[in-house]
Amino acid sequence: MVRIENLSVAFDGTEVVKNVSFQIADGEILGVVGESGSGKSVTALTLMGLLSDAAELTGGQIRYDDTVLAEAGKKRDRELLRSFLGSKMSMVFQEPMTSLNPTVKVGKQAEEMLRLHTTLPPKERMTRVLEMFALVGLQDAQKVYGSYPHQLSGGMRQRVMIAMAVILRPGLLIADEPTTALDVTVQNQIIALLKEISIKQKNAMLFITHDLNLAKRLCHRIVVMKDGRVVEQGETEQIFQCPKEEYTKKLIWSVPSRVKKKETAVFSEAKRQQDGETGQEAPVLEVRHLDVFYREGSNSLFSGHKKRCVVEDASFEIKKGEVLGLVGESGCGKSSLSKAILGMNKEVKGEILHRTERPQMIFQDPYSSLNPSKTIGWLLQEPLRAAGRLDKKVQMSAEDRRAAAYEMLKKIGLKESYFDRKPAELSGGQRQRVSIGQALITHPGFLIADEPVSALDVTIQAQIMELLQSLQEEMKLSCLFISHDINVIYRMSDRVLVMKEGRIIESGGTEEVFRQPKEAYTKLLLECG
Amino acid sequence: MKYIGKKVITLIMTLFLVSVAAFIAFQVIPGDVVTSILGTEATPEREAQLREELGLDRPAPERYLNWVSGVLSGDLGVSYRYSKSMNEMMPVAELIADKLPVTLYLAAYSLILIIVISIPLGVFWARCKNPAPNVLLNILSQGAMAVPSFFLGILITYLFGIVFHCFTPGGYVSYRDDLSGFFGYLLFPAISIAIPKIAMTARFLRNSMLLELSSDYVRTARSKGCTNRRVMYRHVLRNAFMPVITFLGMIIAETIAGSIVIEQVFGLPGVGRLLISSISTRDFPVVEILVLYITAVVIVVYCLVDILYRMIDPRISDK
Repeated sequence: MVRIENLSVAFDGTEVVKNVSFQIADGEILGVVGESGSGKSVTALTLMGLLSDAAELTGGQIRYDDTVLAEAGKKRDRELLRSFLGSKMSMVFQEPMTSLNPTVKVGKQAEEMLRLHTTLPPKERMTRVLEMFALVGLQDAQKVYGSYPHQLSGGMRQRVMIAMAVILRPGLLIADEPTTALDVTVQNQIIALLKEISIKQKNAMLFITHDLNLAKRLCHRIVVMKDGRVVEQGETEQIFQCPKEEYTKKLIWSVPSRVKKKETAVFSEAKRQQDGETGQEAPVLEVRHLDVFYREGSNSLFSGHKKRCVVEDASFEIKKGEVLGLVGESGCGKSSLSKAILGMNKEVKGEILHRTERPQMIFQDPYSSLNPSKTIGWLLQEPLRAAGRLDKKVQMSAEDRRAAAYEMLKKIGLKESYFDRKPAELSGGQRQRVSIGQALITHPGFLIADEPVSALDVTIQAQIMELLQSLQEEMKLSCLFISHDINVIYRMSDRVLVMKEGRIIESGGTEEVFRQPKEAYTKLLLECG
Repeated sequence: MKYIGKKVITLIMTLFLVSVAAFIAFQVIPGDVVTSILGTEATPEREAQLREELGLDRPAPERYLNWVSGVLSGDLGVSYRYSKSMNEMMPVAELIADKLPVTLYLAAYSLILIIVISIPLGVFWARCKNPAPNVLLNILSQGAMAVPSFFLGILITYLFGIVFHCFTPGGYVSYRDDLSGFFGYLLFPAISIAIPKIAMTARFLRNSMLLELSSDYVRTARSKGCTNRRVMYRHVLRNAFMPVITFLGMIIAETIAGSIVIEQVFGLPGVGRLLISSISTRDFPVVEILVLYITAVVIVVYCLVDILYRMIDPRISDK
């Protein structure tokens, strides 16, 4: 139905999509898989004609049935394209928060699709939208119709986007990472919905994702892309069972899964006895009956401060050299808990007992958590300088600090030449290595890692996890490892805490919890992951 | 509703503070009213008599209380300077009631010009992809913003008043006497006020729209098959208007409070001119009331801006 032939797209002269060809048949679900920068989104946006003017079609053509939608060297027919958009092909985007107009009611936004492409009277349009809302599983469609985007949850917004995209029964639905910004349990519902709709409406789907597991579950065929080229394409089963290309194999191998568990069981009883430890050693961190609050309300003269409880009655401990995994969906209080432990939030009740000095933290976003105007060397030394300020005993000379920074560069697997570079010159994975180096350079003994690999591509993710694990063992670190991804937790942790709506609902050894989860919610998480 | 209640309380508290500040300010600044009215030649008896007549012999707190209670009961006091006839003092209320309409008409006139011209201009500018009109608009707006409005006023007076005789400089007729004359006389002052502000607002709106154009929801709108025009007016304008509203609010407050310079240049008998002459003659009852008026206008307009904000962006009122 849709054919993309030898497509090349360039931005300001640099080709980001190179000679890409694939076809989508009627009713087929085609997965385009690749890491960031692989050109998968650009290909889809070219198909939809949504790229900015800076992008140029340098080769190939795009056909929809018998119509040529775009061809290299020819100006695109905007009118023709507009008659296709929405009615014959439509798109669902990654960010359900920003993809809807924040100041227009979502019902009106969905209705606009009908207004643009049909001659239905207003009343009928509204009925159609309400029907569609009900179809995509939005309960109380009437209420949703009159809501603004910010009044809906992420999952609901994505349902609205889907309803809007399929209301005219287009032959092709393009879904660009439609579930990446959502929690796993919601993710599953949305995937099920997309599948159901494509069967009901018999539409083809171009499903773009970085997540191989998702592609495997949903797609009939898969196209693997890397650096703007198609590396491999074929039936889903064939790709997963006997991948031909080296890169495909690497991708499949990198996906965190429950096949690879944490390799060294430092805390097995046997090992402990070997080391002559009796297990009586005091834990590095103890948290007892901790409530964490969040201040609400404006700083107005008239309204007092309200406190909202975001973590309720949390109790746990972390032993020396142990990695405690904390898993939960967004808004469950994971980050609030970690901030409270580090004293960044003072609105707490209960007890937090530290037995290490200067606990450190690694953050999620390696792009914004490093000061862009400083060199890597400077950034690595900064925690040492700060520690020296606070405590004269650990003050170091400038040479010692430099030496420590160079040593840390080696440990985190970066060349010495990176010492004088700025964060902007580094890739996401390299930056996260620097963040890790920053956290570890003071030999903290205890570390909180808050979603340290969530913003990274799968192959990079695997490398960073390996690095963290080897450093953790080498330095006998205790670590609170926070993630929404239950597979990452499985790979990294000795023990697990499961958090939901501010409460720790289940805890135990990793194997134990993963083999025999007690709570229904834990089971759900395990099924979805 | 609760929100508006809060705003009203804030308004009252601010007015109170401003009234105290204004009153104290005019107590401490040098210059004696009595000397300024009677001149230096007056006898001490005459001075003392006038002081008593004006109530200036009482202690300051008492005078403040008298003044405030007067204002609250609708008596704005009497002018030291103007008089109705030989034996009758001119009430401040009457004085202002006489001048205020001129300022308000002028403000309304220029605001309509600003809004009607700057919004389509800003949208056009944001849509403009060709370099030629872009550069031209850029130069024009830079120029319009840089020229001080009094100079623009003088230029317009000279060109349209003296060279082309479109109006008589320094003249003003009430709309009761001559409606077309009224519009004619106010047109040029309104243009002088509006031109720099149109340039600023249009530029501001354009920048804001360009920023909004890179948002995800614009891409969504395009993916639905919206035309460029629809994307601009239906989706982008409303969101891009948020920061512009604050700016417009500032302009509105400024214009209503009185365009002092423009009134002076065109010889319009408005509040701005009254303020200047009252300050120079130490006609404090008039100045104090005008200060309160300006404060109230600024606060009320900002409050309206806030309410408008909430109407346009549902996210704010839900917080």
